[in-house]
Amino acid sequence: MLKSILKGKALLLLGICCLLGTTLGGAAAYAEGEGASYNYSFWGRTVTSPAAYQATSLYSGVDLGVGAFKEPSDLHVAADNRIYVLDSGNNRVVILDEQFKAVQVIDSFVRDGQADTFANPQGLFVTDKNEILIADTGHNRVVHLNAEHEWVKTIEAPESDLLQANFQFQPVRVVMDKAQRTYVMSTGVFDGFMEFNAQGDFTSFIGANRVYVDPVEYFWKRISTQAQRSQMIMFTPTEFTNLDIDGEGFLYATNGDQFGDNIKKLNAQGNDILRRTGYFSPQGDIRYTVDTGPSRLIDIDIGDSDMYSVLDSKRGRVFTYNGDGHFMYVFGGLGNLLGEFKTPTAIERVGDDFIVLDKALGEITVFRTTAYGRTLNEAVRSYYRGDEQKAYELFNETINMNANLEFAYAGIGKALLRQGDYEEAMKHFKRSMDQSHYSKAFLLYRKEVLRQYFPVIMTTVVGVAAIWLAIVAYRKSVRRRRGVSFE
Amino acid sequence: MCPLNKELVRFPFHLIVHPFNGYWDLKYDRSQKFNLIVSFAILFLLAVSNILGAQYSGFLVNLYNPNEMNSLLEVVYVVVPVLFWCVANWSLTTLLDGEGKFVEIFTSTCYALIPLVVINVPWIWLSNVISLQETSFYYFSNTAAIIWFLFLLFVGNMTVHQFSAGKTLGIMALTVVAMGFMAFIGLLFFSLVQQIVAFISVIYQELVMRS
Repeated sequence: MLKSILKGKALLLLGICCLLGTTLGGAAAYAEGEGASYNYSFWGRTVTSPAAYQATSLYSGVDLGVGAFKEPSDLHVAADNRIYVLDSGNNRVVILDEQFKAVQVIDSFVRDGQADTFANPQGLFVTDKNEILIADTGHNRVVHLNAEHEWVKTIEAPESDLLQANFQFQPVRVVMDKAQRTYVMSTGVFDGFMEFNAQGDFTSFIGANRVYVDPVEYFWKRISTQAQRSQMIMFTPTEFTNLDIDGEGFLYATNGDQFGDNIKKLNAQGNDILRRTGYFSPQGDIRYTVDTGPSRLIDIDIGDSDMYSVLDSKRGRVFTYNGDGHFMYVFGGLGNLLGEFKTPTAIERVGDDFIVLDKALGEITVFRTTAYGRTLNEAVRSYYRGDEQKAYELFNETINMNANLEFAYAGIGKALLRQGDYEEAMKHFKRSMDQSHYSKAFLLYRKEVLRQYFPVIMTTVVGVAAIWLAIVAYRKSVRRRRGVSFE
Repeated sequence: MCPLNKELVRFPFHLIVHPFNGYWDLKYDRSQKFNLIVSFAILFLLAVSNILGAQYSGFLVNLYNPNEMNSLLEVVYVVVPVLFWCVANWSLTTLLDGEGKFVEIFTSTCYALIPLVVINVPWIWLSNVISLQETSFYYFSNTAAIIWFLFLLFVGNMTVHQFSAGKTLGIMALTVVAMGFMAFIGLLFFSLVQQIVAFISVIYQELVMRS
């Protein structure tokens, strides 16, 4: 008796253990892999994803042997992978090599035989020829140095009919294109970026943001008097928060818009030509609580193959999109751990790695790809190059690591479509919710199937018609014969 | 097939192509039992066709999230609007000299739904064998079905209440407004009941905790 009860208890215990085991196992599988990140599904749900990047090291000014950074505000990576850090508080530029060894420090330059320095510079740009542009905000000018760090020219406050009389030139970010045109983002300017020609003369504004009018505000403004109206805030376009330039001379810009597009790709005319064919238009987080609000993007960096990354200062996250506007991966965050920041202010790529500059801490965090991130990057690159076979293999590898990455299925589908496997292609397009490509694959598939079964279908149709005609003819003849017999 | 059963199928099809005669027959010639059987059958078929449509329509016309698909809700989406319409219409027409009884309003409304079933059911399959360019046919048929449905609803209402055309249009517009009011009052009622229930349960909890 006692034995049987004990046996029952043992069985029960075993059962409970099994149940617990399965739940624990499930949870463990969930948290498995190289850290957890997320992605957004077609339906706007947050889905888990393996981390594409992981923080590996952290450098402060002291570690680099150049003394602590004081509120560094920008960094730039040149074509030869040398890293230029703009140490605003110390009014200097620190140049590091790929291994994060300090190479050189620029804290002054010689202009017309006289030594000159910077005052609280905010923006930095390095051209392909290693020429340096510094937005010397405290001196209201942009300083242009050549590859040997000798003074070339200075862009001072411009004089133009386009500018107001009380205009204050406060450049904060700067880029230069291949034709030596300089684009300057200046605080308090709502008309877009200021464009200067190779000689440093102001030519025009480019790419102004649109004004967002709050309907409620607009209503009150309409019914108030002139005196009241002058007391109210003006409707002004939002300012840009940062800009970068790609190899083809397109400007990528971020702005602080709460509504509308906060990432823009501007062509020479200032039109926004960013491709937004992903499931959501690129904008940082799409799910957020009402009190924290949408992402505030403050830096943008363009990688190869049209990939670009933006930095959200509100949550300290770095979002990366491909040229079609598909959300690839996200990393970072606010906090105290390695790979988290306090006040992130600038991001750059060094090859495939990312570096993030933290302003308050004066530290640079280095992120390196995981196996997943490497595969995904390579897949997107192969796809961009048009190497569909390679893209097919790499996207297949990617979805083996992350089945939630829906746009990868479209990449596979396109390769299958090229190979002529229409039915499989349709399945993959369906999985990535890509209707237009699904339709293309379907049309080819339908044609194939109809061609295959055309003899059978046609024979049946002709056969049925023949039998029907025969029956009709037979009935007619029977009726006629009867008619004859009756008469 | 016995004659009554045959008539059950034939009459609704006759009605949708000859609405003026058909609705007249519905009001004055057909038995109430007959009409009710057909009406419930139509409601059932419409609910089923909506469920099948949501589940099996082609990918190009129907992006659906299996996590949010709910067959019971599809039934509710059919039954509730019809009931709302009938109640609102009945409430208005009783006051405005309509001759229709509630049953007649209900059956005439249900008969008007036939095109939605008849046109949409074949498209559940057809939408699986069309390309993106051909989806315009799908949307065209859907629109045609809705227009046909509205026309039948109009004729049905006019015949059942013996109204003039203008008055019917006015009544139909008012019915939609009345449906809005009903929805609002319904929500208000539910939220008030919820508050009362919460209030009582809080009092009960307090009493239990004190003692």
